[in-house]
Formats: sequence, C-alpha cells, structure tokens
Amino acid sequence: MASNIEISPPQDKHGEQNLDKKTSPIALEVSNLSVVRSGKVIIHDINLKMKSGEFVGIVGPNGSGKSTLVLSILGFLKPQTGEIEIYGNAPLSKTLNGRIGWVSQAASNLPKEVTITVEELVMLGTVNSSNMLFWPNSDRKKRVKEAIEKVGLKEHSTTDVSKLSGGQRQRAAIAKALASNAEFIFLDEPLVGVDRKTRNSLLKLLDDLCHNENKTILMISHDLTAMRQTAHRIIYLEEEIKYDGPSSEFPNFAELAAIRGIQQVHDANIVIKESDGVI
Amino acid sequence: MGIGVILLELISPLLELLAPLMPGDTFPIFFKLKMAQRSLLAAIIATIVAGFLGTFLIMKNQALMGDGLAHVSFGGVAVGIILGATSPLWYALLFAIIASICINELQTREILTGDASIAIFLTGTLALGLVLLKVAEGDSSQFQPLAQIHSYLFGDLLVMPEDGLDLIVLVSIISLLILAIMRNAILATTIDPLAARIQGIPVRRVELLFGIVTAAVVVSMVKVVGALLVTALLVTPAATARQISSSFRSSLILTQIIGFISVIGGLYIASEINSAAGSTIALVTAVIFGIVVMTKSIYNVAVKKTEN
Repeated sequence: MASNIEISPPQDKHGEQNLDKKTSPIALEVSNLSVVRSGKVIIHDINLKMKSGEFVGIVGPNGSGKSTLVLSILGFLKPQTGEIEIYGNAPLSKTLNGRIGWVSQAASNLPKEVTITVEELVMLGTVNSSNMLFWPNSDRKKRVKEAIEKVGLKEHSTTDVSKLSGGQRQRAAIAKALASNAEFIFLDEPLVGVDRKTRNSLLKLLDDLCHNENKTILMISHDLTAMRQTAHRIIYLEEEIKYDGPSSEFPNFAELAAIRGIQQVHDANIVIKESDGVI
Repeated sequence: MGIGVILLELISPLLELLAPLMPGDTFPIFFKLKMAQRSLLAAIIATIVAGFLGTFLIMKNQALMGDGLAHVSFGGVAVGIILGATSPLWYALLFAIIASICINELQTREILTGDASIAIFLTGTLALGLVLLKVAEGDSSQFQPLAQIHSYLFGDLLVMPEDGLDLIVLVSIISLLILAIMRNAILATTIDPLAARIQGIPVRRVELLFGIVTAAVVVSMVKVVGALLVTALLVTPAATARQISSSFRSSLILTQIIGFISVIGGLYIASEINSAAGSTIALVTAVIFGIVVMTKSIYNVAVKKTEN
C-alpha cells in the first residue's frame, strides 16, 4: 500500500474545506446528462456539482463512461440530453478560454515525431485566441518558468520531452495546463504507467495545487487508493453515478460490489485487486 | 516587375561579387548570368520555406502530404495546359488548395485516415491529368501537351522565367510570414488539438490555413524540383534535422542549414556533371540523410562501448 504518501489525510481537509465551501462559487454543474454513441448508452442521467477548490476523483472500470463524461463536460461530445455549465458558461465558451486546463492521456504521450523541449511545450500552454499571433511576452515567459518550477522540472527545462521518464512527461503535461493560468484542471489517468514513487509525488503535486493554489481538480483514475488519499470526493461511475460522496466514506470492496449489483467480489468480470486498490 | 524580380535586383550585385569565389567551371554561372541567378534565387527561397513547412509536416506525421499535393498540382497543370493557360501553375494552385481542404475535412470528420485520403487525391488527380492530356493530344502532331508536362514532373529549374520567380518569391514570403506568426498555434494544435481548443485556439481554422499554405508552397516548388521530387526538399532536410536536434528551435535551424547545403551542393554537382538540377538536389538531400543517420548510429555504438 502506498501509505507512506506525505499528504494530509483527506478527512482533515474536509473539515477545513467545509468552511470555504459555503462561500465557494460553483465551478461545474452537470444536470441530467446522457450520452449515446452509436446507439449505445454510455452515460445516463448524470447530475453533478463541483465547487471551486474541490478535488474530485472519478473512478470506475474500463468502459464505464469516465472519459465520455469528461469529454462531454469539456464540450467535445454532444450529449443527447442534459445541461453543462462551467463557471456558469456553456462548454467551450470564449469566456472560459484560459480558465480550464486539460491534461489528456495523450498529453504525456507525445507522438515520436515531435522534438520539443519542456520549456517549448509548456509555452504552448500559454497560447490562446488573443495572443496566438504574437511571440511570448514577459508575462507568458514568467508563467512558463513558474509552472516548470512548480512541477519540479526546473533542471529539465531545456531537455527534449521524449528523453524524460513517464512521470516527468506527466509533470510537463501538468505544467502546460498550469501555464495557461487555468483555475480548473481536468486530468485523464495521469497515474497510468508510472512507478509508485512517481505516482506518490504526482499526487503530492496535485494535492499542493488544490490546497495551496486553490485549483479545482477533476481527475479520472483507475487508482482507487490514490483517489481515497488525495481527493475530497469520489464519484464512482458505471454508466450512472453509483456513488458520490466524501472519499473517507467511500464503500469498501464488498459494499462496492453490492452497489454494482455483483454478488461475488471475485467475479471474473470485474478486476478488483484489493492489494493496490486499482479497479 | 514582380516581387521576385525586384528581390533579384537587390541581391544580384552580391551574387556577382561572390562569383569569382565559386569553384567549378560551370557553377559560377549561377552567380553571373541573370537567367541563372533567377534559378539560384528560386531554389534557395523554395528551400527555406520548404524547410519551415517540412518541420511542421514531420511533426504532424504528414510527410506524404507534400507528395500528394504535388501530384494533385500535376493534375491542375494538365488541365491548365489543355485550356491553353499561359501559366498553368495557377490551375495547379487552385487544384492543390481544394484538395488540401478536402483532405483536411476527410481527416477531421474521421471519414478516412490521413494516408488514405492523401492517396485517393494523389492518384485521382494524377489519373485525371493523364487522361485529359492523352485525349487532348489526339492525333495531332502539333499539340503535344505530354511533352510540355515533362518539366512539371521533373522540374525545370534552369529555365526560370521572370513570372515563375515572381510566383515562387510571392508565395514563399507570404507562407513564411504566416508560418512564423502562427508557429505556436500550429504547434499547439499539432501536439494536442483538444487542449488547444480548450485554450481558445481556433483549431479548425488553424488547420485549414496550414493546409492552404502547404498547397501553395508545394505548387511553387513544383517548378523547382518537379512534382515527383517535392518531398525531397519538403521532408528530407527536416527529417534529417530531427535525427540530431533536441528542441523545436534547433530542428528549425538545422533544417535550414541542411536545406541550404543540399541546394548549393546539388546545383554545384548538377552544373559540373551536367545532370538535371532538381533531381541532383533531391539526391544530395537523401545522401546527407544517409550520412547523418549512419554517423549517429556509429556515434551511439561508440558511446555505448565507452560506457561499458
């Protein structure tokens, strides 16, 4: 178990967070969202609210609609029904430019044809519709420098991204999102393919971003243990939201199986490794 | 007087100054004679813009886009010749831009993958061109469009008319400006289109503009190296640079250096051994690629040995 992770337990944060939460503005509101693709219902009747400064983890087995939910929230998939508002705006609205950061699975997995340094990559995070025709000014350069320092890649700022380790590439991708000044960061499986030590340091980074920088974080992950340790709230998704609540109260595996309508935890159809908490 | 001719007037004295320093028997002509100076300028300018564009094409994994559009432009040239156009390259430009937009649309709508859509347009318009030319030729011995088309397939750098130079310089300068200004937006779109869209970059418009620039550059290069060899200048220097660069900036700079060496070296060899300029330049780019890859492998093996 990765119990040696040096972050404050989420229960404590909850206590502190509860005070702010009353006044925190709503960052995200999803109501009655359903997405059907090629005749198949992927997600059904999702209702979800997130406040500014919250760290929410979305967990669920493969094909449970996690990525579909996030891609719909971001505005890349058209829902059949439902409403999505981010800071009171429809997805992809102009007013949201620069307020949202997206760290996709592809972000740390650049095509091998691309030769680019960490600094050049992070700089791309500062490009938006109003400055894309101009060379980076001092403010953008400062943001790039700060973002690289924040994720701990200062010594590697002129290194070719393809020469970095998986965890370092993930950090570079997070830095790119940070450099855009995003308040709300979406991450899709940032912990895949990294070793335990790297995983813990990435979680520490996300925890810092949430608590010290007041970033709102919505993260998809297979890693239930990680989510329990870091997120304020966990959403268990399997076409519908089966659980939505504080991570401290997240059901154990037997309860989870019951929620999912599965009699036996060791059912061959589900892969639950209790040893490392990966669904 | 077009922009190409004006530019040549400006640098012509410099070239004449360099002429006595140039090696070889025939090669110095490129620095002395106005007509040959036009060829030299066209080749250098086309290589500069091809290098910049090629770096992006390599990163987008669209190395064959240049080849595809070159063949499309051949179809356009054929139509232009049959319609009796004095500058069939304008038809080529129109064809290439339309094809580029269509290929882009097929890809973004996920109707076809990149390679397949390029292949269809490549062969389709090439076939159209050949069919039309053959039909137009008929039994007439006077009108021989197939002979005219030769220079567009293999390039005819040494016969560079003033309006040809004007077209190349105009297209190159506009394309270079667009690529320089849009550099970050194109790169962000290439690396992660969804993230770019979220940041507020108009991804589709950027892609469209990039496609149009690619089409224009390819057409302007057809006259220099020929439709069959456009890829040599567009892709090979950039691919060579990628082998030895560690940043986007260094790959841009190295591409320019390799491109420049290829053009000058290719023209020198062509003039001394009396070979075709376009294909010699293309050959030099390939040889440089081979040398770089081999040297790199030998170097890597040597480094591994010393480490052990």
